Parts: sequence; C-alpha cells; structure tokens
Amino acid sequence: MTPTLLGRWQTRILLFSTVGVLITLPFGMGIIGPGGAVFFWVLLYLALFGLGWDIFYQYLQKLRWDSDWPGVLQLLAGIWEAVFVALLVKIFGLPGVPQDLSLEWFLLNYSFVWLGVYVASQTIMRILFPRWRFRGGQWL
Amino acid sequence: MNSSSMQIRLTWEDLTTGESREPTLNVPVGLGREFSQIPTEVNGRRVSRIALNSVEVSRFHALIDLEQNQVVVIDQNSSNGIFINGQRQTRSAIANGDTLQIGPYQITVTYAAITQQPPSPPSGNSQILFNPDTNLPDPRLNQPAPAPVIPTSGSFPPPSFADVQVEVQDLYATGLPVDEIDYATIGAGLGSFVWVDFLRIFGVKAEKIAALGIEEQPYARYKRLCLNSQIPLHERLRSNSDSCPDNIWGWPSYALREAWHDFFGGRLGEMLRKLWQVFAEPTFAETYTPRAGNVFNSIDREAARIGWNQIFRYARVRAIRKTTDGRYAIAYSRMGARNYAFIVARYVHLAIGYPAIQFLPDLQAYREKTDDFKSVVNAYEDHNHVYQHLESNGGTVLIRGRGIVASRIVQRIYEARQRNQNITLLHLMRSAKPQGNKYGSAQRRVENHYEFQPFNWPKAAWGGELRAILEKADPQQRQSLLADWGGTTTADRSDWRRIVAEGIRQGWYKIEFGEVERVERDPDGVVTYIKEKGFKGEMRLLANFIIDATGLDAKAKCSPLLDDLVSHYNLPLNHLGRMVVANNFELVEMRNRSGRMYAAGASLLGGPYAPVDSFLGLQYAALRSVDSLAVDRSPATHRLNPISSFSQWLKWALNHSP
Repeated sequence: MTPTLLGRWQTRILLFSTVGVLITLPFGMGIIGPGGAVFFWVLLYLALFGLGWDIFYQYLQKLRWDSDWPGVLQLLAGIWEAVFVALLVKIFGLPGVPQDLSLEWFLLNYSFVWLGVYVASQTIMRILFPRWRFRGGQWL
Repeated sequence: MNSSSMQIRLTWEDLTTGESREPTLNVPVGLGREFSQIPTEVNGRRVSRIALNSVEVSRFHALIDLEQNQVVVIDQNSSNGIFINGQRQTRSAIANGDTLQIGPYQITVTYAAITQQPPSPPSGNSQILFNPDTNLPDPRLNQPAPAPVIPTSGSFPPPSFADVQVEVQDLYATGLPVDEIDYATIGAGLGSFVWVDFLRIFGVKAEKIAALGIEEQPYARYKRLCLNSQIPLHERLRSNSDSCPDNIWGWPSYALREAWHDFFGGRLGEMLRKLWQVFAEPTFAETYTPRAGNVFNSIDREAARIGWNQIFRYARVRAIRKTTDGRYAIAYSRMGARNYAFIVARYVHLAIGYPAIQFLPDLQAYREKTDDFKSVVNAYEDHNHVYQHLESNGGTVLIRGRGIVASRIVQRIYEARQRNQNITLLHLMRSAKPQGNKYGSAQRRVENHYEFQPFNWPKAAWGGELRAILEKADPQQRQSLLADWGGTTTADRSDWRRIVAEGIRQGWYKIEFGEVERVERDPDGVVTYIKEKGFKGEMRLLANFIIDATGLDAKAKCSPLLDDLVSHYNLPLNHLGRMVVANNFELVEMRNRSGRMYAAGASLLGGPYAPVDSFLGLQYAALRSVDSLAVDRSPATHRLNPISSFSQWLKWALNHSP
C-alpha cells in the first residue's frame, strides 16, 4: 500500500462504517459476548483517533524511501491504536465507554475488526473501486 | 597550463534514462540547479554553465576554476555540499579522473586539454534497433529507417500524406483496402493489450477494435528480451505481485495465485512464505516478484477471454495522419511485398514500446571497426554463446552497467561457475556509489556500489504520494523529481547480495571504476582501456567477452513512425526527447474534432507519470485514457462504477467474455 493522507482517511471512514460496523453488530447485539452499545462507541473512538494517527503515519511514511506502508506496519499501527484507546478508557474513561470495559471482549472485537478491515482493503476495495489503488486509497 | 585554453570534460549519467552526458567545457565551470542563478562571468572570464536538476543541488552549487595552475572546485555555500572521491570538501584541488558528487550526480572530471581524445568514438549514445520484419534486436541496422519524406505517386504512403489532413475518399481512390473502425492501437504489445483489455471491460466489442503490430502474442518482444537478458520462464521478473497485465483490479495478485497453487499442491510452508512476503515487503521480507512464465500464461488466458485474436492484425504501421472528418488515417503494410492498406479510426492509441536498445558508444565503435559481434554483446541481444563458451572453456567476462540486468547476468555467470570454476567476472562501473539518492528525509540503500530499490521507481510513484506530486509538478520540477527518484538500481535479493559478497571474497568477481578510453581487439580477447586517476596511465582490462547491460532506449527519434508524426505535426518533445502527453495520456496536439489520440509506454518517460513502462504503469495509463474516453461518451464505453466493476470482475474470475 502506498496511501496518501486523504486516501487513508477516506478508506478508514468507509471501511470502519461498513466492515467495522458489520463485524461489531454481533458483539453489540450480545450474540458474541455481553452485548451493549459500548462496542459501537469503542469503534467510533478507534475511527476518530485513527484519523489523527493517520497524520502521524503519513509523516513516518515520508521517512521511507518507497513512501509505502506495508501490511506489517498496518498491523503495528493497529496494535498501537488499540493500546491507546484501551489506556484512555482505563485511565480516564470515555463518554459512552465505562472504565470497567471488559478488555477480553474489546480485544476480540477489535481483532476481528482490524482483520476484516485489512482483508477488505486488500480485496473488495480493489474490485469495487478500480481507481482506488492508483489514488493512494481515495475512493471518492 | 594556460588558463585561457584549459578545458575539462565532465561525465555523468542522466539519472532518468541512464544515458551518458559528457560535455567538454572551458574553465571556469559553474554548476547548479538553476541556470539563471549561475554567474555568467567570474573575474572577467566567461563561465560555462551546467544545470543539474535535483532538489539536492543548490541553485548555484559549485564553481570549478583554475588557481595557481590547478583545477579546483569551490563550494558556493550549497546546502548539501560537494563530495570529492567520497570526502566532503568545501574547496579542493581536483586531479584528472576525480569524481565529484553533487546531490545525486556522480561527475567524473577529465582534463580534456591534456588527455588525447580518442579518435573515433562518437559522442552521445548509440543504439541497436529492432528489425521491423523480425522484431529481433538487429545490430547491423545502424540507423532508423528514414521516415517517409514527400511521397510520390505510386509510393506508399500516398502523396496525400504530405498534407496536414487527408481526405478519406483519397484513401479509397488509391484502390488499396481501407477499413473503418472505432478504436485502433498501434504496437500490439503489452501497452496495446492492456488498453484493449480496459476497452473491452468498459463495454467495447472486439470487432470495434484493431491492434496493429507484427507479433500476435502481446508479450512476444518482452519475453524475448527477458530470455536474452537471462530471465528464463521459471525466473522471477522485477514486478509487483499486484501488477497483473491480465487483471485490471490486481486481485487476486500473482502471490495469492501462487499461494493458492502451493496450498493445493500441499506446499504449506511455501504458501505461508509468499503470504508473509506480500504482507511484510519490502522492509521485513524480500519483495515478492512473479515468475515470468506465470505472467505470460495469465496473459494468454486474458487474451483468449477478450478475443485478442480477433483484434490483432499483422501490420507494420508507416504513418498516421489526421483526416478531414475528425479521425485518423493509418497507413500500414501487411505480410508480403507491396501489400499495403489503410485503417481509419476515431480513437488511436500509440504503444510502440522501446524502439531501440541503448549501446555504449565505445562498444559500438569496436563493433564497427572489427565486425566482431560475438565477443562484445548487449545483454538484450541473444548472447547464449557467451555462457556456452564459458561453461566449456572458462574465461573472463566484463560487465558494463549496474542495474537489474547486470545483476541477473552476475547470477547467470555464478550459475556457469558451478559448471566451470575457471570463470572470472569484471564489473566495470563508471564511478563508485558510496551513498544512495536522497529525497526529502528518505535515502536509498547502497551495498557494494549497488543501489537497492524493489522496482525501477520508488513504490509510491505508481499510485501513492509520489504519483500525485509528479502529476502536479511543472515540467521543470518534473525533471528534478525524476532525477532524485531515478538512477540505476537493482533489487535487494538475498541471493544476489550473497553472490556478490561471495564473489568478491573468493576473488572471481571484481568491481572496477573508470572511464573507458577505447576498446580494442587483442590476440587473447578484448581489451578495455580505462583512464586512471591523476595521469598514472592507462589501465588495461582483458576479457573474453564484454556484456553491455546499460538499458533500453525510447527517444521519439529512434522510431521512424514517431519521428514522422512529431515532425509532420510539429509535436512538442520533453527534456528527454520523449512525447508530451496530458495527465490522461492524451496527445493533445493530435486532437482532431471528436477524434482523440492517446499514448502509453516508454516513449512517455519524463512526463506526468514516472513508471510508464511497467505493467502497472501501462494499466494506469490505460485506465486514465479509457476513463477520459468514457467521459467523452465515445462509442460503447461505460465508465466502471462499483457495480459494473464487480460484475466485470466476476466475469474475469469465471473466464467469461467481458
């Protein structure tokens, strides 16, 4: 992947609001785990903070000769984003997310969301948006 | 030394094309990024000004002058400094043969007033052209065939082709066959194939398209150049996993397809290795590249799916003219003597590929002098006799150039050494490469004077930030961006690095630096004479074979067809002598009412897109041009939306015609 900032934002918003929401549905409805709107709140925070992190990733990407962002770095970034949100919740709490959030269910939900978003970006995005890969991840 | 007559020769490689620049200049010489910022006079003496395009070069970077009868270089307060033979200096004497590094440029300084100029070799670059009948590189074709001048009656193309626009009825009046069609692409190689693939997927029927060329397999020339440059079908190309000329979406990528076969073949370890490669490359894993044979097979399948055999026509295109009714007339010859015909098309696409192979002038001079086409070869010519001879008799090979082709030949020699240990390898490079190119805060990696990059441009030049930056830049900025991102690189393959390190350690592989004076025949082989630094004399490199691995060439002038088009319509050329296109790859000057002409491939280097000659670059060019056709509502094209794109992908997956 060789994303641009606008591409990162557009892809993140699209995939979190589709694939992310779809994967979180069974968690929110209690089919998997305790259920509750808290899973959707967490998803929203991940997406919002992620938009900020994208600016930082884009800066790091400029230090790379190929100006690329391989899957491994996406994984590391994903782990960091989860740690960051978990720390915020555990230390300060976030509106809609109580401090006693179950870390196990959060991690399980987030792992599925990350994997779903990654796989979707590697597959269906290319098939639905043939120009996406040439425009640094912009689909609009 | 007499200051009024002191001349020096500066030699460096153009970082975009790899061509040699070697002007002889009167001292003082000013070097900088902006011509206008270099002073015209120093102490009342006229300055020879040289503009070096790169953001790493300051506006006025360095002055080469005479001080007490010594040639000195003086840093003009530049941001990135001057390196002389690898050492940073602000003011330093320079000896004959020293190398100055200014930004990404490695410039060798030679005292021209003292060294004897070799009598023959020729300034500039020479090349080997492709024979228009056989499509093979043909070293005996020295000059491009002259473009059709003013045609006389009975000649072909007909006299009406001397006009700016031709009447379609004049074509019919010649009595020769005339076909009218919507879309025509010229070249019928990979560039044409990819464009046709897009047209078909965008809804155009096969019978509305003609691809004009001399070989039906779209990859015929590409494959031949691969085989000649020692990439057999099982070897891997320097191409990305998702650059798939058979699939416009890049999914499933070649790595996934290979992993899939590994899975069903029970090779789980292999499967996981490939998946890890595409997940972690290029930082934590070696970059995955597809096998040549797999790519060709996939193109065969797609060619059958889109009806390529119906679209391809054997044709040697002679000339293209605008018609008075807003179309284009294409004059071509067919198989057999004096078998001529015309095609009239509304949308024309030019994808003629590389018209020639670059060949080092001193080697060209050697061939002309000796008529020896066996011991001095170009890597892209068929030169298997070299390896056969080495494997049975041993010997020494001298390689020129340090790109991907040179790497592959080093590997091939290594393989030959497994059969015969008496093979040694000399690698002659023009100058040392102590550090890699810089761009912004990033720098390219160097090892043993090889500069590494997964592909021939930084990855983001295909579809990332660098693509966007280059497209927005003006022609001047494009020159400097291409210089910073360009240069000769090779792939960071662990087997290649191991071979190089092992060869250097065991002594059968040696890297030499220097400027070649001349190449001569000797009873024991071929001798390359190199200038040594500081007049210590000449160095002799004796070898049984010399292999030139410096590259391909795509100047518009090398192709009689493009040359004719450029001169007839007064088309602009860019700083590299290539065609100028808009961001959607249209040749804007060729617009003819609703008629449109597009181009793709190597003949566009130096324009809005860097990797024009790669698989993915051809797909990008095709996507942009076919998208713009769809916006213009050209016949039967429908711009792909997510739904039609998905349904077209399903047809691809099920191998149904689009």
